[in-house]
Amino acid sequence: MPFTNEDFTVIDSIINRYPRKRSAIMPLLHFAQARDGYVTNESIETIAEKLDLETAEVIAVVSFYTQYKREPVGEYHVGVCINTLCAVMGGDAIYEGLKEHLGIENNCATKDGKVSLERIECNAACDYAPVVMANWEFYDNQTVQSAKDLVDAIRSGNPPAPTRGPDKLPTWRENSAVLAGISDGRAGEGVSAGEPSLLGLKLSKEGK
Amino acid sequence: MSTQEVSADVTLELITLTIDGFEVTVPKGTLVIRAAEKLGIQIPRFCDHPLLDPVGACRQCLVDIEINGRKFPKPQASCTIPVETGMVVNTQLTSNVAEKAQKGIMEFLLVNHPLDCPVCDKGGECPLQNQAMSNGNGESRFDGYKRTFEKPIKISAQVLLDRERCILCARCTRFSEEIAGDPFITLNDRGALQQVGIYEEKPFDSYFSGNTIQICPVGALTGASYRFRARPFDLVSTPSACEHCASGCDMRTDVRRGKTLRRLAGDDSQVNEEWNCDKGRWAFKYATANNRIKTPMIRGADGELHEASWPEALATAAAGLSVNRAAVLVGGRATVEDAYGYSKFARVALNTNDIDFRSRVHTDEERDFLTSAIVGVQVNYSAIDRADHLVLIGFEPEDESPIVFLRAYKQVRKRGLKVTTIAPFTTRGSKKLNAQVIKSAAGNESQLISKISGLTSKSVILVGERLCESYGALSAALKLAQTSGAKLAWIPRRAGERGAIEAGAIGTLLPGGRPVSDVAARVDIQSAWGVKSIPENIGRTTSEILVGLQSGDIDSLLVGGVDPLDISADALVGLEKAFVVSLEMRHSSITEIANVILPIAAVVEKSGSFLDWEGRARAFETAVDVPDLRSDVRILSMIAEKMGKPINLPTVAAAANEFASLGNWDGARAPFIAASGTAISGDTILASWRLLLDAGSLQDGEVNLANTAHPSVAVISTDRAEKLGVKSGDPVRVSNSRGEITLPCEIKDIESNSVWVPRNSHTSKTIATLGIASGASVSVVKA
Repeated sequence: MPFTNEDFTVIDSIINRYPRKRSAIMPLLHFAQARDGYVTNESIETIAEKLDLETAEVIAVVSFYTQYKREPVGEYHVGVCINTLCAVMGGDAIYEGLKEHLGIENNCATKDGKVSLERIECNAACDYAPVVMANWEFYDNQTVQSAKDLVDAIRSGNPPAPTRGPDKLPTWRENSAVLAGISDGRAGEGVSAGEPSLLGLKLSKEGK
Repeated sequence: MSTQEVSADVTLELITLTIDGFEVTVPKGTLVIRAAEKLGIQIPRFCDHPLLDPVGACRQCLVDIEINGRKFPKPQASCTIPVETGMVVNTQLTSNVAEKAQKGIMEFLLVNHPLDCPVCDKGGECPLQNQAMSNGNGESRFDGYKRTFEKPIKISAQVLLDRERCILCARCTRFSEEIAGDPFITLNDRGALQQVGIYEEKPFDSYFSGNTIQICPVGALTGASYRFRARPFDLVSTPSACEHCASGCDMRTDVRRGKTLRRLAGDDSQVNEEWNCDKGRWAFKYATANNRIKTPMIRGADGELHEASWPEALATAAAGLSVNRAAVLVGGRATVEDAYGYSKFARVALNTNDIDFRSRVHTDEERDFLTSAIVGVQVNYSAIDRADHLVLIGFEPEDESPIVFLRAYKQVRKRGLKVTTIAPFTTRGSKKLNAQVIKSAAGNESQLISKISGLTSKSVILVGERLCESYGALSAALKLAQTSGAKLAWIPRRAGERGAIEAGAIGTLLPGGRPVSDVAARVDIQSAWGVKSIPENIGRTTSEILVGLQSGDIDSLLVGGVDPLDISADALVGLEKAFVVSLEMRHSSITEIANVILPIAAVVEKSGSFLDWEGRARAFETAVDVPDLRSDVRILSMIAEKMGKPINLPTVAAAANEFASLGNWDGARAPFIAASGTAISGDTILASWRLLLDAGSLQDGEVNLANTAHPSVAVISTDRAEKLGVKSGDPVRVSNSRGEITLPCEIKDIESNSVWVPRNSHTSKTIATLGIASGASVSVVKA
């Protein structure tokens, strides 16, 4: 799909945020995912040209960060944290449970294109372990059953609101646009630092 | 300035430190690993390279460091740490910690490295193999499965990658970015999956890609042309010089059982540093092409060529040249010794100054410019290093003298050297040099040179050989240099041109820059050669010689290494009437009409020297000894002998010695009469130059190299594209009354009255097809 004039307006506005244009590479790649769902060759070539980079330099960035996808993902990309704390708190079981429940492998999507699954590394939410993310929104303190319920709800078109984050779960493309720095006006919604996150601070203030 | 190189211009601050108990004093900024080298202490390393920025990627060079009594808690990479006063360094030789750290790293690097040394091209000259022996454990503790990959993957037609061998030192990716400015390869993925790779749609078609193979410290990058051909210990290496262009690269030719298997960049910090271009590295199969001439041939009464013995062929050549009015054309690829041979042969054996080395588009203005302003003058690469402003006129360095490009790019990258170029459009090379582009239609350069201001005595003006095609431009460039005090250098494309000027292979000059018109200069040469007289008249130029052959004023021609289609589409007309003696390596359009053909040795088969664009001698030795093939000068000497007018140059060494003993002319140079160009006009003016990799005959026989050539396109302006209704990639037809060239177009910032095409690519040969090189009107239509 060729880039439209509107696309280029967005691209230019992203580039103009930075003193050196090559700094815009990461938000532009998120924008590419917002546009196409994943990073296409066309996007790589367009970004390289806009930023005066070689396509190989763009690929180096795309391939380094697992958040950038070279293949389409589901409308809702579900990540299960399998790093140490989440894993021992049930993350490994959740991942295995979802894999079986959805009948898909790591980094694959269901046939209806609704849900894809990924084993993800630490998402800095150990205080809510085990966590599951959908399109990078947190679902805290999950169990195998709650995670299965979550993907079922997603597939039936009624995803519950994230535990913390916006009131309604955005799609993969919508959140890619947010990551590109295009506000959806929902930054103020939901909880950011919840009670477990602030517990340490509270204890230290109480002098304990 | 990086920590790798310390400028000689500033007074150096020196630092004294202790390494393994020895004190050493080095300039501030020196890396610990270099300071250790100064003491003869070799710290093992892979990623470290003196010409690349430090990166500390492989961790092999770990040493123990203490500064003023404070010890680093862990061993440090000596390739990234600059020396400090009071530093105490203990390498693997004196520190158990350093030795253990190095052995640990080596074991770690070998965890995934295959033990396929017996079938690996690098085996026998491999830094990993060697240093695993010198600085590693004898036995591995690793008993798991090593990674395997599909092997090899082609990252270009010429460069192959065996991923499992890579140790991720990033030498290749750093070279591509820092030295060549072509980051077409990068480190992709992350962690255990990290690999060198390309963007799948864009292969590693850098003109300098071969250097990555040479600096790969393992066998991860190999060349398609050399892969599995030889073991390093079976090769005989000979120091060589590159014959492809006037950059003057130091080279090494590796031969196995009489066959050239590879050529590598030599190490000459003054010239090519440790790099060369892919043409110099891989284009050597022309010498073993099957149209190679191995025995003398004589055209018989039946009009056909017949093989002949040397005495018979020499006698026939001598007889033909003796009874006729003869002229000499020597191509721009002759060595200094050969050019000197032709020069002396013309004057002594043929009694003429009708000799010209310029087998290409040329002008009288150019001849006078070379005679007055270039012969005997040296401007060096170091002038670029120190320049405050580099001006390029009619010269695309990446295509026409790649090492000049590398040197300029280095200065642009390291210190922001200001570059201005007068060119038809912004090329990729100009972009890399961050050059200010003064756009000019081909032929209009003389009108724009005056726009360049602010030059000083530290500025350098480089004019290309093809600038002569623009009337008045060389005069304007010379004037700019004279009024500003800037240094001016002329950069020919071929390796032999500068040497040919110095050797007097042109009608206005005798050897050593002596003007033919100067009686004292002639007397000099007469007495050195022991001849009674040297012709006094200015000799004919190449085009005048061709006219003379057509009109019958000249009726025999001695020609060596000339492709008529480099001169003009009609250069062969009239030649069939003449008696032609051709000294050639391979059959060509000249040998088709020659009366006598005398086979000559290729560069790898002879010794000699070239003068690069700087005027610096680049000597080379015989790498492949072929008894029956001789250097041109030896053959010329034999013909002269038969003619009874000996030139007494029986060997290359004799020619070199005699030429050196003549010395350079210290008298007045011929005055230069400036030509003044006028603005040219036209709707569609052709611009062109030769791409580095194209249809040049010295690139014959190397398919892998040819497949990395940049695509041939016709460059047109946005205006023209709109008018023609074409978009980038659509075919356009460039034509005139003689012929047409059809190429995909590329839309660039070229002036709307210009079109650019490659001069000598397989799909675009301007001289043969259109009968013009540049600066003339053509028409462009949608094809």
